[in-house]
Amino acid sequence: MWILKFLPDWIFHGIFLVGLIGFAATYLFKYIPIPFIFVYRKPIQIGSVLVIIFGTFMSGAVYDNNTWEERVREMEAKVAKAEVESKEANIKLEEKVQQQKEKIVQKQVVVKQYIDREVTKYDNTCAIPKEFVEVHNKAATK
Amino acid sequence: MKYLILVLMLVGCSTTVPVTSKFPEPPKYSLQTCPNLQLLKDGSKLSEVANTVTINYSTYYECAVKNDAWIEWYKIQKHIFESVK
Repeated sequence: MWILKFLPDWIFHGIFLVGLIGFAATYLFKYIPIPFIFVYRKPIQIGSVLVIIFGTFMSGAVYDNNTWEERVREMEAKVAKAEVESKEANIKLEEKVQQQKEKIVQKQVVVKQYIDREVTKYDNTCAIPKEFVEVHNKAATK
Repeated sequence: MKYLILVLMLVGCSTTVPVTSKFPEPPKYSLQTCPNLQLLKDGSKLSEVANTVTINYSTYYECAVKNDAWIEWYKIQKHIFESVK
C-alpha cells in the first residue's frame, strides 16, 4: 500500500487511539459545563467511529505489510543462499567431471601406446575385410 | 458483536509480493553435444581399427560422464530448490 511507504507506522496507531479517545470523550461531555459542546456530541461520535474504522483498517494494513515484508526478506535470504549453494555444487561437479575426463584420456593414451607397440605387428598379417569396415561404420553412424 | 465482526473484517488486507529465484546455470561442459563416432576407412589396417575403436569407446565414456553429470546436477539443483520454501 503506497501510503505506508510515506508515513511511519505509529501514525496509524495514533489515529486509532485518537478516534477511541474522541469516542470515549463524547460520554464525558455531559459532565463538562459548556453547553455548545454537547450539541456536537453526535457528529463527534460519528467522526470518531470513522477515525476508529480508518485506524483499525490501516493498523491491519501495517501489520499485514510488515508480515509480508518479513516473509519477502526471509525468502530473499533463502534464494540468495540457494544461489550460492548452486554455484558451489556446479564447481564441485565440474571438477569431478574434469577428473573423470582426464582418466578417460589417460586410458586412451595408454591403450593407443599398446596398439602402436603390439597391435601394429599384425598389420601386415591380418587383413581387414571390406564387410567388417562396412558393419563397423553402419553401427557407428546414427 | 456486530462491531467486532466489522473490526475483524477491516483488519484483513493482503498483499502478495513474489520472490523469484533465477534458474540455475548449468555447467558449460554439459551444454556440449556428444560428437559423432569415428568411421573406418576402406582398407584400414588392424592397428587403425583398434585405434578407431579405442577413440569411439573414449567418446562414449566422455559422453556418459556428461550424461551422468546432468543427472547429478539435476538431483543437486532439485534438492537445493526444494529447500527454499
